[in-house]
Amino acid sequence: MDEIAPEYDVVVLGTGLTECVLSGVLSVKGKKVLHIDRNDHYGGEAASVNIEALFKKYGNYNKGEEPWKKYGRVNDWNIDLVPKLLMSSGELTNILVSTDVTRYLEFRQVAGSYVQQYSGAKAAVAKVPSDAGEALRSSLMGIFEKRRMKSFIEWIGTFNEEDSASHKGLNINTCTMKDVYDKFGLETGTRDFIGHAMALYQTDDYLTEKGRAPEAIERIRLYGNSVSRYGKSPYIYPLYGLGELPQGFARLSAIYGGTYMLNTNIDEIIYEGSKAVGIKATMQDRGGEEPMKFTTKAKKILADPSYFPGKVQVTGHVLKAICILNHPLAGTDNSDSCQLIIPQSQVGRNHDIYIAVVSSAHSVCPKGYYIAIVSTIAETTANHHLELAPGFERLGKIEEKFMGPPIPLYEPLESGVNDNIFISKSYDATSHFETTTDDVKDIYRRAEGHELVVEGLREGTNLVGDDN
Amino acid sequence: MASDESLPTLKILMIGPSGAGKSALLIRYCDDQFDSESSTATIGVDFKMKKLSVHGKAYRLNLLDTAGQERFRTLSNSYYRGAHGVILVYDISNRESFQAMERWFEEAESNAMPGAIRYLVGSKLDKTNSRTVQTEEGQRLADVHGCGFCEVSSKTRENVRKPFVEIVDSIVRDPKLLSASSRRGGTVNVGAGAGEGWGTGCPC
Repeated sequence: MDEIAPEYDVVVLGTGLTECVLSGVLSVKGKKVLHIDRNDHYGGEAASVNIEALFKKYGNYNKGEEPWKKYGRVNDWNIDLVPKLLMSSGELTNILVSTDVTRYLEFRQVAGSYVQQYSGAKAAVAKVPSDAGEALRSSLMGIFEKRRMKSFIEWIGTFNEEDSASHKGLNINTCTMKDVYDKFGLETGTRDFIGHAMALYQTDDYLTEKGRAPEAIERIRLYGNSVSRYGKSPYIYPLYGLGELPQGFARLSAIYGGTYMLNTNIDEIIYEGSKAVGIKATMQDRGGEEPMKFTTKAKKILADPSYFPGKVQVTGHVLKAICILNHPLAGTDNSDSCQLIIPQSQVGRNHDIYIAVVSSAHSVCPKGYYIAIVSTIAETTANHHLELAPGFERLGKIEEKFMGPPIPLYEPLESGVNDNIFISKSYDATSHFETTTDDVKDIYRRAEGHELVVEGLREGTNLVGDDN
Repeated sequence: MASDESLPTLKILMIGPSGAGKSALLIRYCDDQFDSESSTATIGVDFKMKKLSVHGKAYRLNLLDTAGQERFRTLSNSYYRGAHGVILVYDISNRESFQAMERWFEEAESNAMPGAIRYLVGSKLDKTNSRTVQTEEGQRLADVHGCGFCEVSSKTRENVRKPFVEIVDSIVRDPKLLSASSRRGGTVNVGAGAGEGWGTGCPC
């Protein structure tokens, strides 16, 4: 019992990426953090699991069978539950660098970013150009369109929201992105791949909503900056899977004094009036020892949505199928990894279909295998398999397919200011972590009352041991 | 320093129960410091670098400490990634810490890469008066697991170099393990020199 303090500045529930980044940042800033997960492993919904755990999670095998045995060493598999990649110039990368969590992780580039044009028998997969040479060879545009695209991209590079001289005569804060495309005379197909494969919008809402042009321009610029960082594609990916990310931030938190408990159930939240002031919890399975019950005070509680089902609402559902392949995707130049986006307009949908592929090059599976995750936002209440079908068509022969019911997306009903409980959002359907880091900053602002400054996070903090 | 950077890097982990003396051993070995007052749990020891020559060849040791995550046995499996060696530490004056070693061997077995070298250390050799674990018991446990063993005192410096020299010796005798370098080809160096913006290097 003396190992658990009577009071913490922050108790964090759930070890997903959002929670671990916050736990790490708050510990660095000198807060006393207790971080708890009910599971026996880190990562929650953002964990990477081995193939035996994946079969058991989805239960798609007959009793008595052990289908994972034909896939080699079980621990050679690290299969993500959330299909996301890191933008190499994105905010998560910035946070990793400013906290030195990059010390614990190794990253590899994702080999390419692809987009589908047309559908059915006519469907064609093309690389989203990453440099001038690729743009000139690209099948995505005709020769005149390539010139228009070039002047558009050059303009994006020089655009400055504060300087109206760079706005091409448009009233940038009130016009639509459609107006911007019109200005450059870009064709529908080009708008489609810019908006969906570069700005990474999942619907076409951004096109016609007034005032969203600066955001769209910023997203295209993030894509471009990310591509130019390492070439090939805008994405990087951690060796051994995304589950390494929360673990890296958990270590950061621990180094700065954060206390970690897994396998621990929350029995009760203690309130004083409307405000949460502490927790009662039980740590289970201690290697034959008795479960340990404890109570501690907390000035604040941070949690993922699963810890407070009554304080969150469902905002949508994600459809997701994890597929094991023994070949790369057709049309992707035998890439060891890629993202393939099927824009909604190409297949008669309202939301894009994403395919994220990683392989043994990222130490997530044995040699010869590929892990492809097909995902989209649900548009129907049935026929979920059919909604993902255009994605499955791109995969060719599938060795194993893991697909559960639609996954609800949660967000908190309240900011947390009234009850001291600050709840994160679910990992959404976007292909990267930009919305996750937005959520981290939002929670930090709600809980701490000021903005999180990412730059120089660890400067001026004293460590006993250091890199010398 | 530039030449140090090019030395082969060996990643070695410290594991074992709280209060076994992992950080004390690390700090004595790397910095030749010992704080007899410090009995508190580790805050702030991330990792230490140390140059070590074995058989006339120099290596850069990257020594990682548990950062307190051993307290409730919540070391992440990412802690073990790419480790060439694991040093398991117990306290010779604390029988419970010795009895916990079987579980620590199991954890190392299931998380460390196949073939990683393990080494058992009984610490606090200066506390012979309150010894509750005999040298022979430690040796026997090490023999069962086929690993090296010694007893050390971070307080008196006795044997503090021995575990590190011996584990490195075993690692470098295994060319297969040695070639499983911790930073492998094809990875990107995140954070080294921000990429140029897009305005100048237009991809189209």
